[in-house]
Amino acid sequence: MNCKLNLITASLLVASAPSMAANFAVGNANTDNLNQEKYECKRCTNTTGYSGSVDISAGYIDSDDVHAANALGTDQEGFVTAVSGDIEYQGEQGYQARIQAHQLGFENSTANISVGQKGLFNVDADYSLITTYQSGDAQSNLYYDDGMMVPGDTYVFELSQQREKVGIGADFNQDFYQGYVRFDTEDKTGYKSSSLVSPSPVNFGQRVDSTTDSFTAGAALTGQNWLTELSYFGSQYKNNTDHLSLPTYYDVYAATPDNQAHQVSLSGQYQLDRTVMSGRYIVGRMIQDDDLIQVAGNPIQNWDGEVDTTDANIRITSMLSNRLRIGGSYDYSNRENNSSVFEFQQYNFDSVSGTFKENVATDVERSTFKVNASYRIASGYRLQAGYDRKDIERTYSDREETNEDSLWAKLSIRAIDNVIIDMKAAHSNRGGSEYQATELTSSEDNSLLRKYYLADRERNEVELRVSHTPLDWLSVDLTGRYAKDDYDDTVIGLTESEDYGYDINLNMQLTKHVSAYGFAGQQWINSAQAGSQSYSSPDWYADIEDEFINLGAGVSYGGLMEDKLTLGADYLFSNSSSDTYVTAEGTSPYGDYFSYNHSASLYANYALNDDMALKLTYRYERYYDTDDAQVTPDQVPGMVTLGELNHNYNAHQIMLNFSYVL
Amino acid sequence: MMNWCRNILASISVILYLCTFNAAAAPWDDMTGDEVSQKLVEKFAEGKYSPKGADSCLMCHQRTEGVADIFKGAHGDLTSKDSPMAGLQCEACHGPQGNHNRGGKEPMIQFGKNSKLDAPTQNTVCQGCHNDPEQMAWHSSTHNLEEIACADCHVVHAAKDPALDKLTVNDTCTSCHTREKADMNKRSAHPMKWDQMTCIDCHSPHGSMSESALNKPTVNDTCYSCHAEKRGPMLWEHAPVTENCVTCHNPHGSVNEGMLNNRAPQLCQQCHADDGHASRVVLQPGMDAFGGGKSCLNCHSQIHGSNHPAGSLLQR
Repeated sequence: MNCKLNLITASLLVASAPSMAANFAVGNANTDNLNQEKYECKRCTNTTGYSGSVDISAGYIDSDDVHAANALGTDQEGFVTAVSGDIEYQGEQGYQARIQAHQLGFENSTANISVGQKGLFNVDADYSLITTYQSGDAQSNLYYDDGMMVPGDTYVFELSQQREKVGIGADFNQDFYQGYVRFDTEDKTGYKSSSLVSPSPVNFGQRVDSTTDSFTAGAALTGQNWLTELSYFGSQYKNNTDHLSLPTYYDVYAATPDNQAHQVSLSGQYQLDRTVMSGRYIVGRMIQDDDLIQVAGNPIQNWDGEVDTTDANIRITSMLSNRLRIGGSYDYSNRENNSSVFEFQQYNFDSVSGTFKENVATDVERSTFKVNASYRIASGYRLQAGYDRKDIERTYSDREETNEDSLWAKLSIRAIDNVIIDMKAAHSNRGGSEYQATELTSSEDNSLLRKYYLADRERNEVELRVSHTPLDWLSVDLTGRYAKDDYDDTVIGLTESEDYGYDINLNMQLTKHVSAYGFAGQQWINSAQAGSQSYSSPDWYADIEDEFINLGAGVSYGGLMEDKLTLGADYLFSNSSSDTYVTAEGTSPYGDYFSYNHSASLYANYALNDDMALKLTYRYERYYDTDDAQVTPDQVPGMVTLGELNHNYNAHQIMLNFSYVL
Repeated sequence: MMNWCRNILASISVILYLCTFNAAAAPWDDMTGDEVSQKLVEKFAEGKYSPKGADSCLMCHQRTEGVADIFKGAHGDLTSKDSPMAGLQCEACHGPQGNHNRGGKEPMIQFGKNSKLDAPTQNTVCQGCHNDPEQMAWHSSTHNLEEIACADCHVVHAAKDPALDKLTVNDTCTSCHTREKADMNKRSAHPMKWDQMTCIDCHSPHGSMSESALNKPTVNDTCYSCHAEKRGPMLWEHAPVTENCVTCHNPHGSVNEGMLNNRAPQLCQQCHADDGHASRVVLQPGMDAFGGGKSCLNCHSQIHGSNHPAGSLLQR
C-alpha cells in the first residue's frame, strides 16, 4: 500500500514538472556564436596510412570424429595452418580500403575486401565458407551415379554440407540520395541424410549440389523528416542434381526443383514532431516451373507453380508527452497460390493403384493489429502494455480461420541505484472457425484431433529480469521465465506444454587487468500429447520432458610481464536431454536421447614488441550424444538405415598464432 | 618562496584531479537525471562552444582512457567531410562546452550506462546524423520502445565497434539476450556459437517492419534466404511448412536434432491421427521403422514438399 501511495505521489510530482523535450541532434545546434577559426586539431591523432594486423596460425589437431570440425573450424587433422587479418588503409582524401580475413585455409572461413571513400561510395567483395558436419560414419550400399542409386558393397561416407558463398556489392551516398546493389552466389555441396521407399524404407546419403544466386538493388531518398526507399530482391535456386532412380524403380525420388523469387519493396518514414509513421508495401512472386517426372497418370510436362505475395504494414508511434508514448501497427501478408491444379495418379507403393489426387494450392492470408502504450509512472518506473490481434485465413485447411488475442504488460523499474528490474506478463487466447477435417487435407484423421498450430490455445507467460551492479567491478543478471500452453479443446494431439527456466550471468572486472565471467542456466520444456490406435478416444499418451543445462566461466589476466603477457581460460558445458514416456497399457520410457559437451580453452598472448605478438591457444572439445532411435543398418527388418550416427569423442587443438601489427 | 612552491604544487594537484576523468563517477553524479537534462538543454540552447574545438577538450581529456581512441574509428576521422571532426568535433556529440572547462563540474552529454540522460535523449545525438533507411523502423522497434541506447551496443571510441564485427556481434546481442545465448549451445542449433552465423543474418537490431525485427518480410522468407530449396512452390505442399517454418522448428536451437520442437514420431503425431499407422503408438524408438532411423521420415522424407507427380504423401 505504501508503495502504491509512493508511486502515485511521485507520479503527481513528476507530472507537475515542466515538460521538456531534449533533442541534441547536431542539426539543432545553436551555432550563432561559433567561431571555428582556431580549430586546429593539434592534439588530434592522424590515423591515415595502414593499420591493423596480419595473423598466421599453425597448429596441430587431434580428433577421431569429423563432428569436432564444427567447433574447431576444420576437418583437417594433424598439422594445420590458417591466415587471418584485418588491415585498413586510410587515405588523406577520405579514401579507404580494408581487408579482413578469418581462418583462411580452414573449412569455416571468411574474407572481405572493401574500398571506397567515406560517406560517398563503397565497393566490397565477400567470401565465406561454412561447413557443417553431421557424421563421418554413415553407412550405405547405394552408390550415386548420375542420378542412379546403384546397389553395391556397404561403404562408409561423410554426411556434411559445405556452403561456399561469394558476393560483390556497392553503395553510394550523395547529399539526399543513396543507392546500393549487391549480388551473391552460393554453392552448396555435400551429402545429407534422406530416405526413399522401394517399397520398404531405405535411408541413403542424398547428394547435394545446388547454386543459389541472389541480387538486390535499391535507392533511397532522405529528407529533413522523411525517408523513402525502393528496392528489388531476386533469388534463383538451381539444383544441379537430378531425380534419383533405383535399377528397379525408375525416378523413385524427385529432385528438389529449381525455383526463383522476386520482391519489389517500397517503404517510407515520416516524422512529425514527436510522432513517427512508417510503412512498407511489398509485392512478390515465387515461381517454380521445373519439368515434372514423366510417369503414367501425369497429365502435364511441367507445372506452372506460382505464388504471388503481398506484404504491407503501417506503424505509428507518438510521444504524447514526456511520460506517455503510444503506438500501433497493422500488418498484412497474403500468400496467394496461383499454381495450376491437376489430377495426378498416385502410387500405392510400387504398383499403380489407379487412384488420382489433385494437388492443393493453398492460400494463406494474415493480418496483425497491435496497439501499445508506455507510461512513465514516476522517475524510474515505466509501465508498458499492449494488445495484439492476429488473424490467419487459409484455404483447404482443417480450420480455415484462426485468430489470437494477446494482452501483455511490462513494468520496468530503474529507481533503485544499480538495479534494473523488468517484469513482464502476457496472456493470449487463440480460437477460430469451426474445426473440421476436409476431404482435401485429412479425410482420415480422427475427429478428436486438433492440430496444434490450428487448435484453440491459451497461453500464459511471465518473465522477471533483474540486473544488479552492487560494485563497480561486479554485475549480476538474473532472468527467470515461465510459459504455459493449454490446448483445452484438444483430445487427440498436443494437449499442453510448459516451458520454464532461468539464467544467471556474472561479470567481474576484478582489477584493471583481471576480468572474469560466469553463467549458468537451465530450461525445462514439458509436453503432453494423446493418440488413439483404436481411432476413437485416446488410448495412449506421451509425456516429453526436455531439459537443458548450460554453464560457463572464464578469466582473463593481463598486464603480466610489463604488460606483455595476457593469460586466459574459457570453459563451457552444455547438456541437452529429452525423455519421452509413452503410456499405453503401462508406461514405457524411451531410451536415451541426450548430448553433452565440454569446451575448454587456455590461451596466452605475448607481445614480442610493439609490432609483433604471439598467441598460444589450446582447445579441448569433449562431445557425446546418443539417440536410441539410431540403429545399425539392418537391425530393423524391412528397413535399411545409415547406421548409428552417435558421437563420443575427445578432440584437442593447439595453435600458435603470430601477429604482425601494422 | 616556500608558499609559492606550495601554491604551484596545489594548483597542479587540482588541475591533475580535475583532468582525471573517471567514467564511473562524473562530477555531476550528485545531480538528478532531470537536473542534468535541464542543464544540458540550457547549454545546448545557449550554444557556447569552445574556442579551439577538440583541442580544448583534449587539453584535459587526452590521457583519459579511451578518449583518444575516437581517432581510430570513423567518428574521429580527420579526412571525412561527414565525420564529427569535420564539424563541431567532440562537441558535436557531447554538446557545447559552456563552463565545463572551469572545473569540469558542469555536465556534458554523456553516453552509456553511466549517463544520467535517458536512452531516447542520448539517441537524439546519434540520430541527428544516422537518419538513413537502416534506421527507418527504429522508432517502432522493440529496442527503441525498451529504451535501449545506441551506446548500449555501439562503441565509437574504438578502432573497431564490436557490434559491427562479425566475430563479436553475437557477444553484443547475447549480453542481453541471454536465452538465445544459451540456445546456441543446444544439441542442434545454427552455427552461432562459433560465429559462423550471426544474429544479424536474420534480425535487424535497429528494427524492421517485419515480425521479430526480421530482415525479410516474413519468417519463411528469412529462412529461404539460406534454404532456398524449400521455397518452392512445390507441387505437393505440406501445409504447415508453407505457412510457417517455426511451426516445427526453433531456429534458436533445440535439444532435438534438426532444431525440431519435438522429435518424430511424436511431433508428427501432434497433427496426424488417421485410421492407420499415424495413430500407432510407438513404444520404443529403435524397434521398428516407425520409431527407428528417421522415424516417419523413413518413408515421408520429402516432408518439406514433393515435386513428384505421385508424391502426394511426400514420399518421393
